[in-house]
Amino acid sequence: MTPLHTALSVLLAPLASAAFIALFLRRRGTAASVVSVAAAAFAALGGLELAFGLSRFSGSVEWFRFGSFAVELGFKFDDLAALMLSIVGVIGLCVHVFSLGYMRDDPAKARYFGGLSIFMFSMIGIVLADNLFMMFIFWELVGFSSYFLINHWYEKLSASDAAKKAFIVNRVGDFGFVLGIILCYWRNGTVNLTELGASHDLVFSRLIPLLLFCGAVGKSAQLPLQVWLPDAMEGPTPVSALIHAATMVAAGIYMLCRINVLMVPSSMEVIAWVGTLTALYSALCAVTQRDIKKVLAYSTLSQLGYMVAAFGLGSVGASMFHLTTHAFFKALLFLGSGSVILGCHHEQDIFRMGGLRTRMPVTFWTFTVAVAAIVGLPGLAGFFSKDAILVLAYDRNPAVFAVLALTAILTAFYMLRLWKIVFLGEPRGESAGQAHESGVSMTAPLVLLALLSATGGYMWLYHGAFGGVFSQIPEAAGSAHVVILLTSLFVLAVGAGSSLAFYTSDGSDALEQRSPAAFGFLFALRACFDRAYDYYVQKIQQRAAMALNFIDIVALAGIAVRGLAGAVEVVGFGVRALHTGRINNYVYWFLAGVVVLWAFAAGVL
Amino acid sequence: MTPSLEAYVMLSAALFAVGFLGVLVRKNTLVIYMCLELMLVAATLALVAFSHFNGTLDGDVFVFFILTVAAAEVAVGLAIIVALFRARKTVRVDQLDSLKH
Repeated sequence: MTPLHTALSVLLAPLASAAFIALFLRRRGTAASVVSVAAAAFAALGGLELAFGLSRFSGSVEWFRFGSFAVELGFKFDDLAALMLSIVGVIGLCVHVFSLGYMRDDPAKARYFGGLSIFMFSMIGIVLADNLFMMFIFWELVGFSSYFLINHWYEKLSASDAAKKAFIVNRVGDFGFVLGIILCYWRNGTVNLTELGASHDLVFSRLIPLLLFCGAVGKSAQLPLQVWLPDAMEGPTPVSALIHAATMVAAGIYMLCRINVLMVPSSMEVIAWVGTLTALYSALCAVTQRDIKKVLAYSTLSQLGYMVAAFGLGSVGASMFHLTTHAFFKALLFLGSGSVILGCHHEQDIFRMGGLRTRMPVTFWTFTVAVAAIVGLPGLAGFFSKDAILVLAYDRNPAVFAVLALTAILTAFYMLRLWKIVFLGEPRGESAGQAHESGVSMTAPLVLLALLSATGGYMWLYHGAFGGVFSQIPEAAGSAHVVILLTSLFVLAVGAGSSLAFYTSDGSDALEQRSPAAFGFLFALRACFDRAYDYYVQKIQQRAAMALNFIDIVALAGIAVRGLAGAVEVVGFGVRALHTGRINNYVYWFLAGVVVLWAFAAGVL
Repeated sequence: MTPSLEAYVMLSAALFAVGFLGVLVRKNTLVIYMCLELMLVAATLALVAFSHFNGTLDGDVFVFFILTVAAAEVAVGLAIIVALFRARKTVRVDQLDSLKH
């Protein structure tokens, strides 16, 4: 098999699995899960084989053509795509295996695994796509899969609302994305990534990257479209791990890195600030959350903000490096929280957990590794990638550096809060007291991901396979090296230390007790976007819709449509009255006709 | 003493009016048909009178044609009425209103 065939089969295997499940296995959950996991394993192995076998290729075929406008389907498999494909494959496989345990007793298991497969297909499509049109198609498919999986427990109103919200908010971003694609095609004559990269007379416009960035804002949940991601935690926990932490939301970052050639400094600056503010805002929101998954959701937003900021500061390498390590430890955090939630019989409130350290040892230790990685404990994956971003920010933009360092303090603060409240102390709820360790299908992915989270920051792990991306990671030089190291140790010590000292294991939120004002402020900060959108939708959009509806009823339906029909009807009614069917009446009309004719002939009329 | 042209024309007009009024108000198809014939005869009378007073034969020749056509028309018209009566069991025009429905 040539690498191209391997790539094609990696792309199509999950689709085949989804189709097979949809057609034949809808009522046979166990069989469906086996098929889906097999497809995911195939995709993961094929992807790793391609990535580490150093196969790099590109090629496309024409799909259809309108005049001079041709839409092509093709693969562009460079180091960037290879890296992303490996991440998607590995994390996807872990989540599939984890789901075997997590969703074992779910009545709609077949639908769930079919959804995972269609998601894998869509995501691999984005990764391999060699032009923006094809990427957009898979982009929308990913949006659909996300909707489908968030909505898995659709009988729950909150789940179906969250799914709709995710879908609609993404549409807002995608509208900008599609405008950007059209503008790019109009100005440059092509949207093929290879051709754009090789083109010498590229039109640089501020608008094109910003419009394309809109797509990333929606998919990667940056300000101001971040509202869908915390709500999307209504889906099953492995879905949150796969889609809303490790891969799908990373698609926005990946897309930005793909269109790097189109960037201009002024739009990069906007992107950097959007990312920075998202990082800070979400970290602040995470501090007050009680739901274990929502803490992690805001933490995801915050880390995505880091990646966007890194990209905006001009380093694809730093952005993708953090994406990689984040995928490992965030998937681990989510899967660990899934294990906790299942162990506690679907209890998600962290203040009703506690004491899980001894009851769920594997989950505890792997979760601890992930927490250590995300807060940047030296030696673990997050330390290297976060430092790369901080080096970059220190070098390029001190203001961004300051905000990101503050965010790092907050990250350490809320992650340690979560860790301490969930695992330490005594059980505070009945379900936490009866918690038990999960089965091997759930702990095995945790251990694998813990290993990756610990080692993901070292370049030997990648065997030099992604040199095209990782060679661009900024390195601190001279005094900056010391500054960065001290900064990261300082923020870690401050954040973690204050959190461990501040929070107790007595089942109440210490911040809420000791400083209600600060707590209330952070809580309102979290809600303000939802409030603003609610206000906009209910008061402004709804009224505009009512006005349009009124115009529609009166002008279009009333006058234009109903009025025209009414006029014809009235005429018809009158004419029908003349038509009596009696010869005598017709003779009168005949007479009248003769009189008129005579009048014409005589020149009277 | 011979009647004047005015008298002939007046008689013709009166006959025509009687025929026309009959067509307008009568309900029986046969009577309407006879009234139609009466109007035709009124026209014929006027033609003959004009022909006589003008001393030409144009009107007389025209009358022959009209009589011929009228004879043919009567044959066809009466046949239609008979057929109509067989089909509908009536020749009253106020009952023959299926065109309306």
